[in-house]
Amino acid sequence: MTGAARLAWICGGLFVILSVVALGSLLVGAAPVAPGTVFDLITGRGPGQGTERTVVLAIRLPRIAAAVLAGAALAVAGAGFQGLTRNPLAEPSILGVSSGAAFGVVLGQVSGLGQGIVEALGLTALGFAGALVAGVAVYLIASTAGGLPVHTLLLAGVIVGIFFSAAITVLISIVDTNRLGGVIHWLLGSVAPIPPGSLGVFALATAAGLWLVLGQARALNLLALGDEGALELGVDALRVKRRVFAGAALLTGTVVAFVGPIGFVGLIVPQALRMLLGPDTRVLVPAAVLAGGAFLLAADTLARTVVAPAELSVGVLTSFCGAPVFIWLLRSRAGRAAP
Amino acid sequence: MTALCRSLILALCFLPGIAQALTVVDQTGHAVTLPAAPRRIVSLVPGVTEILFAIGAQDALVGVTDFCDYPPDARRKARVGDMLAPNLETLVSLRPDLVVATRSGNREETFDQLKRLGLPVYLVDEPPSIADVLRLVGGLGQLTGRRDAAAAVAAGLERRITAVRERVAGRPHPRVLYVLWPEPLIVPGRGSLVSELIASAGGESVTADQGQGYPRMSLEAAVGRAPEVIILARHGAGTGPAAREQWQRLESLPAIRSGRLYAADGDLLHRYGPRVVDGLELLARLIHPEAFTHPEAVTHPEAVK
Repeated sequence: MTGAARLAWICGGLFVILSVVALGSLLVGAAPVAPGTVFDLITGRGPGQGTERTVVLAIRLPRIAAAVLAGAALAVAGAGFQGLTRNPLAEPSILGVSSGAAFGVVLGQVSGLGQGIVEALGLTALGFAGALVAGVAVYLIASTAGGLPVHTLLLAGVIVGIFFSAAITVLISIVDTNRLGGVIHWLLGSVAPIPPGSLGVFALATAAGLWLVLGQARALNLLALGDEGALELGVDALRVKRRVFAGAALLTGTVVAFVGPIGFVGLIVPQALRMLLGPDTRVLVPAAVLAGGAFLLAADTLARTVVAPAELSVGVLTSFCGAPVFIWLLRSRAGRAAP
Repeated sequence: MTALCRSLILALCFLPGIAQALTVVDQTGHAVTLPAAPRRIVSLVPGVTEILFAIGAQDALVGVTDFCDYPPDARRKARVGDMLAPNLETLVSLRPDLVVATRSGNREETFDQLKRLGLPVYLVDEPPSIADVLRLVGGLGQLTGRRDAAAAVAAGLERRITAVRERVAGRPHPRVLYVLWPEPLIVPGRGSLVSELIASAGGESVTADQGQGYPRMSLEAAVGRAPEVIILARHGAGTGPAAREQWQRLESLPAIRSGRLYAADGDLLHRYGPRVVDGLELLARLIHPEAFTHPEAVTHPEAVK
């Protein structure tokens, strides 16, 4: 089977999985809606108005869209950071990039930015700027003559994350008490139905980030040979790194702006795909788009149904899944490094 | 501009087809137009839930939050989740024709979501005064077609408020520190309802000149005001006792030296419903025990031993 055919099969399979998860997500929720009614509504045959229409089309569907976008963005950001640093533990929340983005977004929130399209653009820009600053800081702290050693990178990520968490705490200390609950709720990470205009901003910013990272998928493969090796094959390593870094930071900042700092999706999904499909980033990155969307959508569906009518924060669920994966990866790397 | 809006609203009310429409101005100044008096209300505000029960409009109440626990019958209404993130699906499935929400407890995102779903929202703000609470009772009476009942409730509350004010009139005003939340220390500040309740109960809130609403404050700054009476809000889940030990250690404070550290049920003072007058009476008894005919009333169940 050629590479293109294999990629088509993999993406086709993942698309089917994503569709099944999306359909399942449409069918379940706190408000009971018969499956037949859901099918009628999504095929345009349902009632023109009424409670069930509102529940399915105005609440569940935009939330599904937001969860898929966020999951895809986070998984690709994770794959991008891992390719960039040649380190399977690199991930937006571990690298402190999510904390930087969160600082930018909280800054916008305490300044009064809300849910309009222009405000969504502002929050995305602030999230992107925060992610960029945090990412550059981690790179500068961790880079040595020998590249980016794993432990140094993790420590740099932890330090930068702590710094921005402290900065967020300062902002929380001065925010009006009435806004405090909203900011803290957002910091836990939760998907909610997003208005169409803002969802458009979310989709466009995500598409731009995906384009930046996907466009460098082949070059990321060659970066595994080292900068000199890649250069011999005609790849400008620095340019590739800049583009991937900008793309991954944009994806992280965008997700944080719209659904909050959700951790570990960028670790779990690329790792699972790497084990199943191998390390080829030309396959890994497109697959991460679909698998990331399916993973976060499944997690969010669980979050909104398991304790209905209350809801869990999806960020809590992903952290529960991600922490063991991270420990296992760290241990397995330590085992390989032992003499 | 406001006059123009009001004229437009009046004009709309006389248009054929919506002659039965009901237009009310909510507590934030926004006009809410409904095709008829609401029959299916979801309350996202515990104080509003209490008012609706007090004026006999509970049959129109179809959904409440997890925090709406008073009167006990409120617990039997359908729950839509917490105030911060109510479950939209559950809320919509109750088919409300009106949602009552607050800017001090619910999130802006929730209002936006409700508006996008086409649900009319009647917004209430944290009333900065007792008079505003009474106005809210009247407003909800008008909204639910229970004007007479609301007027009777408001008149009864007014009488009790006057009685308290008369009791404490002419007495010295002890310095009162009200602790709304212990960690971080949150206190009633400028323009807050609790500040006015303390003043009406014959006390001088030492934090009334702090930031607007309910600002945070350092423990040191609060101690520096040498309060003569300290009242800790109890929110359940043991927040009262935990904070009490911290305050008991501050033996140099006049309030601690004279044994005037009390706990009070926060729901009576923070919810803008009819029980706010119960809260006023409780404050007056704690601040001016000598003003009440039965001295044993001082050993109120709310007092910390």
